[in-house]
Order: sequence, then structure tokens, then C-alpha cells
Amino acid sequence: MSTFKPGLVYTPVTPFTPDLKIDFSRFEKLLEFHLRNGAEALAIQMHAGESVSLADAEQRKVLDMTIKQVKGRVPVIAHVSDSGTAIAAERARYAQNAGAAAVIATTPYYWTPPPAMLLEHFAQIGAAVNIPFLVFYSPDEMGGAKLSTELVLKLIERLPNFTGMVDRSLDWQFMINIVSNAWRVRPDFQLLAGNEYMVSAGAVGATGMFTSLAGVAPGLVRELYKICRTEKYMDARKSQEQLVEVLQIVKRAGAGGLKGAMRMMGRDCGQPRPPLDPLSADGYAKLAEQLGGLAILGGEPRGW
Amino acid sequence: MTIVLRGVMQSPVTPLKDDFSLDVPTYERLVDFHVRTGATAISWPHHKGESLNLTIAERKQGAEATVKAVAGRVPVSIHVSALAVEDSMELARHAQKIGADAIIAITPYFWGPSPDAIYDYFVRLGTTVDLPVIAYNSPSYLEGVEITGELIERLLMRLPNLIAMKEASFNSEKFMEISRVALKVRPSFSIVAGVEFLAPSVPLGCVGSYSSAGAICPNLCTQLFDACITGQSVKARELQFKLARLWDLFRDQYPSSLKGGMVVMGRAVGPTRPPLPTATKERQAFIAKQLEELGILDTEPHGW
Repeated sequence: MSTFKPGLVYTPVTPFTPDLKIDFSRFEKLLEFHLRNGAEALAIQMHAGESVSLADAEQRKVLDMTIKQVKGRVPVIAHVSDSGTAIAAERARYAQNAGAAAVIATTPYYWTPPPAMLLEHFAQIGAAVNIPFLVFYSPDEMGGAKLSTELVLKLIERLPNFTGMVDRSLDWQFMINIVSNAWRVRPDFQLLAGNEYMVSAGAVGATGMFTSLAGVAPGLVRELYKICRTEKYMDARKSQEQLVEVLQIVKRAGAGGLKGAMRMMGRDCGQPRPPLDPLSADGYAKLAEQLGGLAILGGEPRGW
Repeated sequence: MTIVLRGVMQSPVTPLKDDFSLDVPTYERLVDFHVRTGATAISWPHHKGESLNLTIAERKQGAEATVKAVAGRVPVSIHVSALAVEDSMELARHAQKIGADAIIAITPYFWGPSPDAIYDYFVRLGTTVDLPVIAYNSPSYLEGVEITGELIERLLMRLPNLIAMKEASFNSEKFMEISRVALKVRPSFSIVAGVEFLAPSVPLGCVGSYSSAGAICPNLCTQLFDACITGQSVKARELQFKLARLWDLFRDQYPSSLKGGMVVMGRAVGPTRPPLPTATKERQAFIAKQLEELGILDTEPHGW
């Protein structure tokens, strides 16, 4: 399998109308915004896109719409995670047929399977397709389900299309162990930062980055990524710190923070769906004030 | 009343005789070895020095031996964390009395203290002595008890002598949050990585590390720091991968395997106190094989 190097991957939110239906015309606008602002690939319906709040039919519809809209300008990665292995595998098959360039899946929701079951879960999803398969590792979001180096090596052995790991554990030890061992058996194995903490991940071998803040500050995201790809990590510290400042403000605003920040930048995508809390008027005012105080957002695009 | 922390700092193991009593002459030799092979500071007894398996009297004895053996060549900090807070205060006063340059302390053990309790503890410690204080953060070993950004900010406002943190979360977000908050209040604040996780941390401003493998491979540790601080990213990554393999080898019932490895390197320091096991002959042979594979036997000093 030829190496799939996703690079700088934007993970769009899913825009909703006021009655919380998917706002497809806004979604198309958002995709165009991302494409104009540096996306090298798009990963749709990641958690930032509220994947688990979309019905199966909606997920398929969003994927079809995305592929149609993107028209091959960048690879589209489909997030297919689910609790049930067969459901996720079926969604992966659908994604392949729809024209996705790769699929990505995380540990199963709710269940806390032991290593052997995790291996089987990933192996069956990955085997359902012959496009590249990425594993998304996010233990804090996923009830602490841990992946080990041993499991990753077994998965490499089972799946010729297991091409990389997207890390959101931010755990240096984990990243180092995974990538240093994986490279011995699959030298083109990709490590990607699962959010905007690119400096440390890059220093230990990450060559790509998944980012949801690209909807808020794509200029800063691109700048950080660009410096990191030259491997001059010392030079990237300032951009990294600036982006983390934005990230922390958005995070503190809660589940509605990301969409709130996008609204503040003139790219309203509505509120998140329940059970996530919408951002209150007070919450939005506070968020807008904090983000408004950041000089670094001055150079970022406003509106669409 | 300040010290500069930078580069590869060593926290020696505690040599023991066959009857498990302190082996002070060998300890002095070890301290001298560390200073001669590039340690920029000495700190004792970290958990690697079996701090919690030593009596308070032994810890005072060892602290005195440390100050004497270092003889002013590099700064000495004394780790004062003990199960009982009263013992920590006593060890801190003792450290000051014998001429140590700083004290270092982790969050209190076992009780799962609240942020306010951690704050009170460090304030009491920092006002008990007139020495620089290094806070030690290790959330993964202490069931999530940690020094958050908010807490370090409060502590820095209160304690002029809080100069540094040993940061052992090995997590990008936690590291950057501490750094973001602390440097605002105290620009001279130093963040030191626990273990040699330098490639991911130096570009973010980490000043050095408390070494785990320094008694085995001081040259490798120094080379890694030099590669990181001079921005040689590719070399730093290679060396980091090597040190990560060593960490995997030694972290098992730390510091048993480390002491086993020291036998291989011609620097035997005796057994490890229960409940930690002592590395068996078989384990030592396994370690020897790994060290050989990694090229350590050819590139690092043998004997004292």
C-alpha cells in the first residue's frame, strides 16, 4: 500500500440550523472556507463534528455531500467509530464506496474492552476496507481505554492498510513508544497529532496534525504546522503557545466553545446538539471577550 | 539565594550493602561519578533513590553525605517528601541546616489531597525554610493528584522561593499549562522534565531533566540534551528513542532494574529494599543483552 500522508488535516464542525438539523448549505460554505485556508485533508465527523450525535443516515449523507463538494481537491478521511464493531465496519465500507481516501476509528464507545477485544474491534474495521485505516487514540475522551505498543504492533501485522495513529493522549511516552516500534516494522507508519499540540508530537516523529481550531484561527494553525514540518521546533514555541492560548479559552467555554469561537469569528455554525450544553449568552459574551483580547487573532480571517 | 537548573541533573540511586543498610562510601563514589560525568546538579533521594524505603534518620545521613561528596561543585537539592507532612518539614529544616542549595517536594502521598491542601502544604514547606523550593508534579503516579496551572499560579504569588518544577506528567497540555501560567508570574521559573523526555519538552522551554538512566549512560543523556538545545531535531529524536527503550527497560519496579543495570556497567550498588525486588542474575543478563544491543557497553564508561 502506498504511503498515505494526510499532513495538515482540518476537522470541521457540523453546522446546525436553530432547530438542530444539519445545515448543509452552511456546511458547504465551511468546507470551502477550510479548503481556501490551508486544509491538506479533511477528516469529517470527528468528535469536533459531533459524530456521535449524528444518526447513521445523517453521517452517510454528510460524507456524500462532502465528497461531492470537495471534488478530489484534498483527501477526505471518514470517521467511522461506533460501539459495535460491525456497525463501524459497515460504515467504513460505505465510506470507501463513497470515495473516502481513508477511514479513522477510535476505541469503542461505552464498552471498556480488554486488549484482545480492542485488537479484534480495530482489525475488523480495518479489514472491511482496502483504503488506509487510521486509529484515533484519545483515552481521556474514551473512558481511559488504553492502547499498548504490543496491540499496535499486532494490528500492523494483521492489517496492511493500518497506516497510522492519530494521538490525542498527548502522552510523550506513548507516542515515542508507538512510533519508534512501529517504524521498525512499517517504516512509513504515520504519527499525527490529534489536536494542536504539534511541537512535542512533531519532535518525537509526528508528520501531521488534526485540528478543529482551523475553523477559528487557520492562519495560526498553518504557521505552527509549517514551522514544525521544517523540524525547527524551537522556532515553533511562540506559535504553539499562542495557539494553546486560544485552545484553552475555547476549552474552558465548554462543549459549545468551539462553535462559539467560530461564531465570534463571523462563521456561525449554530449550537451543538444535545446532550452537549449549548453556549449560553453569558458564556458567549465571556468567550468573545477573552478571544477579543488576543492580538494574535487580529490577522485571522473573519466571516466566510 | 537562587540556583540555576539546566541540563542533565542527576538523582543518584541509594547504594545498599547486602544486609540492606546504607552503603555510604559507595554512595559518595556514585555522587562523584555523576559530577565527573557531567551532572549539572545533584538531587537526592528521589523515588529512584528509594526515598520512601529509607528511615528519616537515614535520609538525613544521606543528605549530609550528598552535600559532603558534591563539595560545592554543583547545586544540591534534597527531596523531602515523606508520608507524614511533619517528617517533610523536619527533612526540609535539616536540609537547610546542612547547607543544601534547595529542597524538592512532590504533592502529599496517599490521602488524595484537595488543591487547597496541596497549596497549604507547599506554603508551609516554603516558609519553613529559607531555601529555593522545587515543586514536583507527577499526576500519573499519584492517582491524578496534581499541581494544576491555577495552583502553581497561587503558589508563585505566595512563595518568592518557588523557583522550579519537576514536571513528570509527560503530557503536552499539562506541561504547557504550567509553563503558560508560571512564566507569566515568574519569568525565571524553571521547568525540569522528569526522566529524559527532552525532545518533546526542550522546544517548549524545558530547561533540562532529572535523569533516570544517568548512572548507566551519562554520555547518551548529555548528547540528547545537547542535540535538543541546539535544535538538532533528527538526532534528538534518534537519541530520545534510544533513551525511551532504556526507560522501558528500567521503569519496571524502578529502580530495581536500574540497579541491576549498574552491575552490568561495573558500578554495583547492591540490592533494592523490599517491597521492591532486587534484580536477579537472569534479569541482569537480560539487561546486559539489551544494553549491548543498544551499543551502551561500547560508548559509556565502565566502572567508577
